[in-house]
Amino acid sequence: MGTTVSFALVLCFALCGAGALVGILIPERRIPSLLAWTGSLAAAAAFCGAGGVLVEGASFRSQLWTIRSVGTIAVSVDGVSAFFLLLASVVVLASSLFSAGYLRRYLGHYSLRAFNAWYLLLVASIVWILIEGDVLGFLLAWEAMSITSYLLVNFEHEREGTSHAGYLMLAMGEAGFIAVGTALLFLAAQVGTPDFAALKAALPGLGGAARWAVFLLTFFGFGVKAGLTPVNSWLPRAHPAAPANVSAILSGVILNLGLYGIVRINFDLVPVTAASMGVIVLVTGVISALVGILYATTESDLKALLAHSSIENIGIITMGFGAAIVFAAYDKPILAGIALIAGFYHLMNHSLYKALLFLGAGVVDHQAGTRDLDKLGGLSRLMPYTAGAFLAGSLAISALPPFNGFTSEWLTLQSLLRTAELPSPAMRLLFALCGAGLALTAALAVTCFVKAFAMGFLGKSRSHQAAAACDPPKSEVAPMAMLALLCLTLGVLPTYVVPALNHALSPVISPGATAALVPPFFSSNAAHHELPPAFVADFHNLGAQVGESVLPGRGLVLLHRGGPENPVVFAMSPAYGFLALALFLFTAWFVVRRSTGNRSVARRELWAGGIPHFLPEMAYSATGFSNPVRVVFNAVFRPNIVEDTRQTVAVHFRTAIRRRQENVYFADSLFFLPLGDAVIWLAKLFAGMHHGRLNAYVAYSLGFLLIILVVFRFS
Amino acid sequence: MTTAPAPPSHINLENLPSELEARFGGAVSLSKTSNGADLLINVIELSTLPSLCKFLFWEANGSFGGMIVEEQPREWSIRYLFLFRLGWVHLIVRAPNEIRALPSVVAGLHAADWYEREAEDLFGVHFEGHPRLGDFILHDEVWGEGLAPMRKAFDVRQQRFKQQPDKSWRPTLVVQDPGAFAMPVGPVYEGGLGESVHFLLETVGEDVIRAVPRLFYNYRAVEKIAEGRSVPDVLLLAERFSATSAFAHSLAFCQAVESATHTEAPLRARRLRVALCELERLRRHAGAIQGICQSTALSVSEAHAAIIEENLLRASCSFAGHRYLFGLNTPGGLRRDFDETGCRDLLAAVDAAASQLRVLEGRLRYSSSFLDRLEDVGVISPESARDADFVGPVGRASGVCRDLRRVCPYAAYSDYRVEAPCEQEGDGYARLRVLFAEAQESARLIHQAIASLEPGEIQAPLEQGGSGAALGWVEAPIGATLHWVRLDSSARVERYRILPPSFRNWQGFRLAVEDFAFQDFPIILATFGLSAAECDR
Amino acid sequence: MSFWFWHGLRRGIQSTRYPRVPESAPGITPGRPVATNFASAAEAFQAAAQCPVNAITSRGERTFVDLAACIHCERCHFGSSNTLQWDPDFEWAQLPRVKNAHDPLPGAFHRSLQIMVVDAGDCGACLREVKQLNNPLYNMHRLGMFFTATPRTADVLLVVGPVTTNMRGPLLKTYEAMPDPKRVVAAGACAITGSVFGKTFVSAGGLGAVLPVDLEIPGNPPPPLAILHSLLVVTGRKPPLPRPNDRAAGPNGTAQLSSSGT
Repeated sequence: MGTTVSFALVLCFALCGAGALVGILIPERRIPSLLAWTGSLAAAAAFCGAGGVLVEGASFRSQLWTIRSVGTIAVSVDGVSAFFLLLASVVVLASSLFSAGYLRRYLGHYSLRAFNAWYLLLVASIVWILIEGDVLGFLLAWEAMSITSYLLVNFEHEREGTSHAGYLMLAMGEAGFIAVGTALLFLAAQVGTPDFAALKAALPGLGGAARWAVFLLTFFGFGVKAGLTPVNSWLPRAHPAAPANVSAILSGVILNLGLYGIVRINFDLVPVTAASMGVIVLVTGVISALVGILYATTESDLKALLAHSSIENIGIITMGFGAAIVFAAYDKPILAGIALIAGFYHLMNHSLYKALLFLGAGVVDHQAGTRDLDKLGGLSRLMPYTAGAFLAGSLAISALPPFNGFTSEWLTLQSLLRTAELPSPAMRLLFALCGAGLALTAALAVTCFVKAFAMGFLGKSRSHQAAAACDPPKSEVAPMAMLALLCLTLGVLPTYVVPALNHALSPVISPGATAALVPPFFSSNAAHHELPPAFVADFHNLGAQVGESVLPGRGLVLLHRGGPENPVVFAMSPAYGFLALALFLFTAWFVVRRSTGNRSVARRELWAGGIPHFLPEMAYSATGFSNPVRVVFNAVFRPNIVEDTRQTVAVHFRTAIRRRQENVYFADSLFFLPLGDAVIWLAKLFAGMHHGRLNAYVAYSLGFLLIILVVFRFS
Repeated sequence: MTTAPAPPSHINLENLPSELEARFGGAVSLSKTSNGADLLINVIELSTLPSLCKFLFWEANGSFGGMIVEEQPREWSIRYLFLFRLGWVHLIVRAPNEIRALPSVVAGLHAADWYEREAEDLFGVHFEGHPRLGDFILHDEVWGEGLAPMRKAFDVRQQRFKQQPDKSWRPTLVVQDPGAFAMPVGPVYEGGLGESVHFLLETVGEDVIRAVPRLFYNYRAVEKIAEGRSVPDVLLLAERFSATSAFAHSLAFCQAVESATHTEAPLRARRLRVALCELERLRRHAGAIQGICQSTALSVSEAHAAIIEENLLRASCSFAGHRYLFGLNTPGGLRRDFDETGCRDLLAAVDAAASQLRVLEGRLRYSSSFLDRLEDVGVISPESARDADFVGPVGRASGVCRDLRRVCPYAAYSDYRVEAPCEQEGDGYARLRVLFAEAQESARLIHQAIASLEPGEIQAPLEQGGSGAALGWVEAPIGATLHWVRLDSSARVERYRILPPSFRNWQGFRLAVEDFAFQDFPIILATFGLSAAECDR
Repeated sequence: MSFWFWHGLRRGIQSTRYPRVPESAPGITPGRPVATNFASAAEAFQAAAQCPVNAITSRGERTFVDLAACIHCERCHFGSSNTLQWDPDFEWAQLPRVKNAHDPLPGAFHRSLQIMVVDAGDCGACLREVKQLNNPLYNMHRLGMFFTATPRTADVLLVVGPVTTNMRGPLLKTYEAMPDPKRVVAAGACAITGSVFGKTFVSAGGLGAVLPVDLEIPGNPPPPLAILHSLLVVTGRKPPLPRPNDRAAGPNGTAQLSSSGT
């Protein structure tokens, strides 16, 4: 098996490299299909490689090159890496298939050869990061990923704002990289070798201050890439600016890489054990989630809305991680396992439905010519397949059953509400508040995606371009359908996903989590039940063993039963719920058809009070829909109101009223704008030195010479 | 509830001529109307028209009554009416028919806005400097351009409209934010129990920034139909174009005809006219109060007010033979007389209504949830009210305390003392208080009028051979209404001009609906109590 | 605030019991002119000539009234020497002249009728009378009749006013927005014949020129009980007023103002 894995990985790299080279030679109009083929095959190869590692259950290691006096570049694919790799490959597969049709719009405007090269190199660097086993290779791969993703974000460089967004992403990414690099190199220097395995073995002896330093640097350094507040100012600008397939990868894969870095360092290499560190993670997660969804709800640009929503979801994942750290610090490994499973489950779900939504947004942008929700509308009749896929994605991201978002957010909320096991009242209060924050986030997410779907797809078209839209070709619809189906499957079958996650992520999750979440109702042998027989009998009465002889696995019910000191029980079964829902909908449809079959239906114009024509200007706009949220949370947004009223004759007659609000991003106004002002002030101070007088420059040189002499005299 | 003192102005009807001579000198020439009471100002230099109007309205503190456009054989005659204490001032502009553009007075006299738009739509006269002409009475999506139906050459029977409304018509929207939208209300709305008016509530989603009404869905061209008809036929039109104030409008028409023919109605008829006018006012105010209670969804008070109105309608029917007092007025007096029993029954009914209104008012004053919805809602400041020249209870609730019964008494009003309540806040509650106070005042006046009845003639014959033009005015329930009648040599109506109070108040309505919440809109509409039929004619 | 509750209770039930019990309170209706015998044919002719809209015709010594054209100017009621007899009833709803009116609505609508009212140029009186049907004295809810704000749920379209040109489009849209079965009722002299506004460039001269009318309610304005009666006729709970065989209005069914008159 090890050879299969290595073969698959080598194939993946080979395909990427070959594809990049071949792309330079062939004519441009063939590049979309080349990219689709190579990208898909490379993704499939990576999928096989990751699958091989997961099936085998053992890590794959290999040493590549040795650099004298520095160390060896090693490859190490354990369960965690394989999980992330699997996920990344699915998203890359969908995105590559999508590109076959989508890239045609750039023919003649931008260089598709360059796109092809950067795209495949990005895929290669993503795989490389995930399989890397030592510090140097990791950092190199990270840089490669940063640069190629910047080049892809900046692809439409003639568009307004794109260069600025790309530059911001690069600059903040580099700042994060510096923090991460500092921490990792410091660790490597401590132990003497850059190999991850060696680091893991040697590091329990690390002191408290050093642990804190490493934690903070890596958490916020990787947090830049992951999109955690307050270091995520680049995200809402860069994701919309990129082409749709790149946005899918950015949101679905690269944000995960940031989380991968956090997991690798803080859960695997230098496991975080202090509760206060967990609190920092938790609070950062909650704030990210709330800020993200608030900005998403009031955003009118569809892709910017999705970008802010990514911030929200990463916040939820981080909350799961933070809760896990706190539980582990208080010596509750099962609960920590549950929280981590919730976090990783949500990570997986987010990749899938966010990629789906970004692909959908790309289709809408291309077909309707605009991303502004105020100008869309009526697309569900014009492009039904896209609307259906987007609806599935919206339902999933709003955490509505039977889709996957529901299961993972439910698990996260349940783990946050396990406050009774926590010893300190302050911690209990904090967890309760974070639980409330998550509930608020979920409610706002529903608002946000009702707005996104309803304003974008339902109602009347609010502009001529939107009225002229139609469904895209099959190559663009198929990956969306595939992702939608995956979303549904992962939502309906959590009882298979949870054991798989536990098995895959065994380096970081304690093995008891599966048993704690998925009781084996399907095994008829009572001895296998870890729960009291009376309890099991109750659930059998509810039907928890239906499907026992037919379906594999432990059961279809997610159930957690607390210990003797906290006898809480939470249970749900999306599978049975899905069946019940399907049955109910079918019955309702059947009854309605039978009872009204003989009625004729006439389609008439919309009733609007008898006006001659219902104009697009009269329909509710997306801005109007989200205005209540904007008003209630005004303290967060703190917009600048710019009013411009033009008059003629006198105040009596006004020909135009314009009231504009400018939103300044919360984190920017708190940190980066003051920071920027400080830097500029400092620079102006130093600029005083550049006055052009030659005599002074000579004096500078002499002064500097003196300082060097003095320093060397005394060292 | 105080009667505000008249704003200080040293100019009145007596020294107005000298002031005009001093300021405008040779640009105007002054004379008197045929009845000797009113001042006529003939404008010689057209360019002084805007400053003249501004002077008369602001500095001389006159109230703008309206604009009358007459197409005469070789020239236009445009008459601007200003009301001063105890008399009218007619500002007349004569321009040859070839001139189609006149200077607009809107810059200094905002209350002339809609009059100029109306003249442009109906006569084709263009006013230079008016920022928005067109799409007023003749809706653009139904009519083509250049129709000018009030011109003599236009045949009233021809059918010139577009069979299918023009789908490319776009309303003029003012709010231009990216996410702004305009919610359409009407013309068919409120379960059809509201009159046909169209609003576009422009908003960005929080509160409504601007709402301008679009009227004239009920435009029936009464002024055009009346041309060439005999006086009794035009009397039918005067009664029926706005039947909820039928008596007031028919009285104004009759007074105009009486003034033009130098006829005076007998004293008994005039006192009965006072009683009937006040009866109509009482009934209409009860209806307006019912509308306000309905808009705030306080059902019991709405039912109570509706019962009061219905009882007054029944009392009117028992007394005068028609629920809305049709068929009573005729030029020269009234068409029928009333006996003691009938008057007694009427007084009983009026007393019952007045006492029930007192009870209702007392209860409403203690309903804080009801008052919450009226206070500070639809506020019109005294300055805005003066600027837009509101009339009637709406004006009196915002400090514009003019009442034709006091300023320019007609019928037998000079025999009685009329208290016109006045408020300064200008919000919905102030308008409600004014309605209640006026209703009580009306009940008192009915008593006084009936009590002072003496036996006598009920109708005087019209003097024959009267031709010429005259103005008749009445303080209708909604406000001051003016009817201008020009009779030709065969006693037929040559020009009939109606200047209804709803027209003036609808013009200023948009001042009350700026920056308000959606749900307050029906309440503001109800507190104004305006009639679209009266405005549209 | 609870005093409203007690206040309402104390006033008790004030609704009329029509149609179960005939209503005869004073002032509920202005009444209508009816066929009258005069002493001589000349007097009858004089009596007929005083009507400004030619609603009265004379044949020999008897005058006949076309109620659909009557505008309640009251000139034949008081103030002249040749007055007609007036009948103080209010059950005036009658079928239109044109014979393609629909049958009354089926039994399902007897106690559940939704009415859409459209103001197509009305002077305000007819609309006001329609609105009185909601007050406690008439209370049409007890008969299962309701006003609706949207034509999509309406069964009856009640139109007041002579159908001005500006309202023609909205009125047609309202009619088209109503689902079947539906009935159209023209309330008031304006909606039947155009009344004094006639057929001009801004007035269609009555609803019959625009929509197919199923029932007419004469009167200017028809009192609330007449409108209530018409709604009962539309649902088949009461018979309409029979139309006299001879008519008095103009050739195309619209009333025209005669330029003569006293």
